[in-house]
Amino acid sequence: MRNLLVTENITKKFGGLVAVNKVSIEVKEQTFTMLIGPNGCGKTTLINCCTGILKPTEGRVLFGDTDITGWPTHKIYEVGFVRSFQIPLPFLGLTVLDNVLGAMRNSGEAPLKAPFRRLWVQEEENNMEKAMEILRRVRLDNHWDKPSHTLGAAQLKMLEVAKGLASGARLIALDEPIGGVDPASADEILTHVAELKKEGLTFLVVEHRIDIAAPYADYIYAMDLGRLISQGTPSEVLNDPKVIEVYLGKGVEAC
Amino acid sequence: MITEQSRNSKNILGLFLKGEVITTVAILVVLTYFLVSRGLPMVLTIIIDFAVFAIVTMSLNLETGFTGIPQFGRVLAVIAGAFAVGAIPGRIMAASMGLPWGLKYAKDSIHYQISPELTQVLANSWVFSLLFLIFCVTIAAASGAGIGWLTSRPAIRLKEAYLGISLLAFGDFFMWVGHNWEPLVGGSTAVYVPDPFRIFGGGRFQAVVIVIFLVAMLVYAYLNRLTSSPFGRSLKMIRDNEVSAAAAGKDITRIRTQSLVIGSMLAGVAGGLYVIYTGTVTAMGYSRLVWTFWPWAFMMLGGIGSTTGVLLGVMVLTIMRTMITVYRFQLFGFLMAWGINPLWLEYTLMGAVIIGVILFLPHGLVPEKVQPMLPAGRVKKLFSGGMAAKPR
Ligand SMILES: Nc1ncnc2c1ncn2[C@@H]1O[C@H](COP(=O)(O)OP(=O)(O)OP(=O)(O)O)[C@@H](O)[C@H]1O
Ligand SMILES: [Mg+2]
Repeated sequence: MRNLLVTENITKKFGGLVAVNKVSIEVKEQTFTMLIGPNGCGKTTLINCCTGILKPTEGRVLFGDTDITGWPTHKIYEVGFVRSFQIPLPFLGLTVLDNVLGAMRNSGEAPLKAPFRRLWVQEEENNMEKAMEILRRVRLDNHWDKPSHTLGAAQLKMLEVAKGLASGARLIALDEPIGGVDPASADEILTHVAELKKEGLTFLVVEHRIDIAAPYADYIYAMDLGRLISQGTPSEVLNDPKVIEVYLGKGVEAC
Repeated sequence: MITEQSRNSKNILGLFLKGEVITTVAILVVLTYFLVSRGLPMVLTIIIDFAVFAIVTMSLNLETGFTGIPQFGRVLAVIAGAFAVGAIPGRIMAASMGLPWGLKYAKDSIHYQISPELTQVLANSWVFSLLFLIFCVTIAAASGAGIGWLTSRPAIRLKEAYLGISLLAFGDFFMWVGHNWEPLVGGSTAVYVPDPFRIFGGGRFQAVVIVIFLVAMLVYAYLNRLTSSPFGRSLKMIRDNEVSAAAAGKDITRIRTQSLVIGSMLAGVAGGLYVIYTGTVTAMGYSRLVWTFWPWAFMMLGGIGSTTGVLLGVMVLTIMRTMITVYRFQLFGFLMAWGINPLWLEYTLMGAVIIGVILFLPHGLVPEKVQPMLPAGRVKKLFSGGMAAKPR
């Protein structure tokens, strides 16, 4: 299988703090690749460096054959790589549905075309159908016309995932997509993600709730203190003594 | 389930049942009665002020209310439009007629020779008058858009307060350029502009008011359509959260620039139309107070992010302002006893309005509604056609 995302020795320093230290990972096409590690070990920072939110201090990010190191976020979206945020960042002045629609493309975004509804309404309606389907998957379809600020914390989390799924990207990085979500819904979402994988999508998922997420993973990277400490299949990584020591403790048996 | 119809009527009812709106409408009615009773010229003055400031305030609302750009330099694009109309079309005419068009043209207010001659030409031809008007509006729009684009270059990447201050500084800068550089628009003296409405003779005032009012309504319709679209959604996304908007594929710099250019273009048109209406330009007439801070007050009172609200805000405050200008000495003369000169009352009013709105009506008279970008009816139809009805 081809590598879709490759990081080469990514390092990110915040002043004296080395948040990410020479991390090289490979995300293969059509896989569910997981990134685990204790709080503050640099998972979110790594994703930020890959998606243009932050510029890495050192190292390269390759998407397919393209070097996307330091590209602005919206250009990385254009090549087919999006991410969701750990702390939901909804568009509070928009409805739930428009939050999702906003993550999609419509030619009516061009200001010269925008005043002429006829020119873009068909696209909008097609997008709406897709958006409603995604909202149904994350159980927000009944809330579609509500302002997003009326949602609860777990629902905002789901909206964040929905925005990621709606983008039509080939690679979707989800930063703790099921944090705070009840186990049944979490399973449902991950099942959906697994289905999307079959349709050709690739996922890079940061997740603390290993017990729920690991069964869906094809490959796991484990980090600690900014470094990569282990990688392999779920059973290899979760039984790696280094991982057990820093992170899992007694949790391993549960898997 | 509530039907579309009953839902709409409930909304409208709800709007009018709101205390603020009732009070506003009541005040409006009383004030309007007073002013209307003073005759047609008063009514026309109110309409013209309303129309010009409506365009300016709606343009501000596009940039600030929809896009989140702290536009404290609204005056700049208004100046660009005003100066362009003051400096260019008349000169082109003068040059083509073999009249002086250099510094002598800019200083014509002293001799008053060139512009009467130009106006005479316009007054004899409907075609010339119309072409002249269209050219003025076009050039005002282009100058507004151009200056908007120019200021966006260094400024657009700045964060809130820095961007706001930069825009404010640009605005003042151009006013002083106009004031001190005589060849542009006469410096400290006024420059006269040929009058494309002279052809209406005694009906000149009515005609100019009607035309400018119609332009304002066109701008309203245009902005409503522009913002109820995927473009409008992108604007609000950027306003609500830049990082998240970028992650959703929006090019923040480009979209903010587009908003700034469109807003400035419209403000330029307002500046140009105002010049055509008054027939003159004086650089010092374009102060930050009147063309930046008043529109802010109008917008805040009406409701930031609500195009309709903004119209209401402009209407209310324009009427109150006119009221004060007309009656300040009759009604507020007693203030003299306390050492307050009623001459400044309208400025005090704007300040008071801003403070009052912040304290009591933070979302304005007509708060922005969170609603689907397509009209609700259309969305509903789409979903009742199978999707929403589908069982999970
Ligand atoms: N913008 C920033 N400026 C300074 N330090 C930062 C910044 N972002 C993250 N850090 C620091 O970098 C380290 C890694 O943070 P990061 O958010 O990447 O961890 P994480 O693995 O995602 O943790 P969690 O599981 O809690 O989400 C932490 O020590 C954090 O305090
Ligand atoms: Mg994190």
